[in-house]
Amino acid sequence: MPALVIGTAYDIMSKIAPPRAAFVDHPVGRTFGPPHDSSRHHAVLSRALAELPRFSYSGEIRDIGCQWSPGGGREWEAELRAEMLHDR
Amino acid sequence: MPFEYLPIMAHNSAPKPPRVIATPKRRAWCPITKPLNESRVALLSSAALRLANQEPFTPREDLSYRRVPSDPNSGPIIIDHHSGIGTVPRQDPEIVFPRSILAALVADGTVGALSPWHFSFMGGVRRHQEIENELAPALADELATARVDIALLVPY
Repeated sequence: MPALVIGTAYDIMSKIAPPRAAFVDHPVGRTFGPPHDSSRHHAVLSRALAELPRFSYSGEIRDIGCQWSPGGGREWEAELRAEMLHDR
Repeated sequence: MPFEYLPIMAHNSAPKPPRVIATPKRRAWCPITKPLNESRVALLSSAALRLANQEPFTPREDLSYRRVPSDPNSGPIIIDHHSGIGTVPRQDPEIVFPRSILAALVADGTVGALSPWHFSFMGGVRRHQEIENELAPALADELATARVDIALLVPY
């Protein structure tokens, strides 16, 4: 059965090599966007689904161009790192 | 440069060894044979999701799964996964399990149909052999029974 992974962890998806993976550049646990932002959730899922016919080989990861911060800032990484290191 | 999760996971595993990331020996590939607007779609989530009236996921190494109704009006989603990142997704599980948006995409004709069920299980389990030999085949059977054409897996 055709399967598509929609994920935030590029390094893990690279190792696992699922048949098709859509990379969303968001923090883990916020794959489709901030809470209660349904237009953003719609946009992320629609972009991921639109990639389906474009995959051409198993293990391909396609960046669907979704950034967490509107300007592409990476400030969220420090917060996520602290959150995850606290999670032991 | 995407955020790197593996070093943090290794740090958090200590003093246990880091989790083994299993790279498949043989890569799977099933061609897509139908357009999306004629396809039946199911979500799979490793966030250990369920409805309130379903049995909770309890142990960290839980190998069970839940059928979660695809109808967004069937009740709120509960996240049982033990990960500390759950504070934000518990405010709105749609951010890891876009059940309502997928239903809306069916309503507007972008997606052909919904599976009656989506499926969820516990991510981060270390019992890899049992996942491969028991959990994964059971989920594959469920998807086949529901006549799903495309499975969307959202890791947690």
